Amino acid sequence: MATETIKLILGQGEPLIGRLMLYDSLRMQFRDVRIRKDPNCELCGENPSITELIDYEAFCAVELPAPSGQSPEELDAAAVEISAADLKSIIESGQSMTLLDVREPHEWEINRIDPARLTPLSKFEQFISELNREDEIYLYCYKGKRSLTALKQLQEHGFKNLHSLAGGIDKWAEEVDPSMPRY
Amino acid sequence: MSASNGNRLTPEEINRYSRHVTLPEVGVSGQEKLKAASVLSIGAGGLGSPIGIYLAATGVGRIGVVDDDVVDISNLNRQIAHSTESAGQPKVETIRKRMLEINPLIRVDIYNTRLTRENALELFSQYDIIVDGSDNFQTRYLVNDAAYLTGKPLIYGSIFRFEGQMSVFHPHREGPCYRCLYSNPPPASLVPS
Repeated sequence: MATETIKLILGQGEPLIGRLMLYDSLRMQFRDVRIRKDPNCELCGENPSITELIDYEAFCAVELPAPSGQSPEELDAAAVEISAADLKSIIESGQSMTLLDVREPHEWEINRIDPARLTPLSKFEQFISELNREDEIYLYCYKGKRSLTALKQLQEHGFKNLHSLAGGIDKWAEEVDPSMPRY
Repeated sequence: MSASNGNRLTPEEINRYSRHVTLPEVGVSGQEKLKAASVLSIGAGGLGSPIGIYLAATGVGRIGVVDDDVVDISNLNRQIAHSTESAGQPKVETIRKRMLEINPLIRVDIYNTRLTRENALELFSQYDIIVDGSDNFQTRYLVNDAAYLTGKPLIYGSIFRFEGQMSVFHPHREGPCYRCLYSNPPPASLVPS
């Protein structure tokens, strides 16, 4: 990017105007593809609709419509969330419970809460048949969002006694176990 | 961007940039163009760090850097303008220090603020070229639109994990802008934080 800047200043060489450079460091490949001006571009097209700066927060906050057939019901997060401190006392009480870590294996390598079992969200469906509907099931992830997604999947399979660690393992590290590495 | 008399190179500069001025593609006149040029760099992070350092070393006469963040230890694996001891300090402060350590003959203007629709046009109008090293879609569209509306060429780059992309947008002259490529941002829930 610095080189392209310098070329423009000097007026030397061929700038990347009209080309998109793609870099893949794992394959160590550089490719460039032609890119064209869109005549219907809202900014630089023939009939632009953007003639001054807009509200970019709103512009980027657009969500996908929910896929058809999926229940529009929102999960009541507050009803299923549990604090780090409460989870800690439940684990320490020794009562029967199942603790699931729904993060991915490279995250599990960094830190984990005993006695959790790794059931990544990306393959979560395949673990569901191995779970017992009678158990109290506690789920956690990094920040507490993916565990709610997994919890919803379990609800749809008829599971009832479900809990999600609010704020995830990051909150746990902050509030309950300061010796735990964070990422 | 032609060099006026005020941008004639001093003997000290001829010496510092001797490996440039001996290149036929640059020469004294090219180095004077660099001295006369002004570039605004958006972000002092993973992309902004090497951009700021290289533009400073090259002898771009006036470089502006916009960033509202402070240095965190977890930034240091890639944001090479900052140092361990600068943790907690504004990124623009530490990048300016580094740039001027490498080249005290240039001017570095820093803006310890977030780029917004309120300040972007005024800021862009003061520079010849805009370089976007931002890390979010809101800023990327803002930078694209503000560069177009002020008529400035934009050097665009973005990275994700092991892959990156780069282009130069100068739709007033030729070629597309960022919106020609991506008319809409991805859905918010698919954007990695």
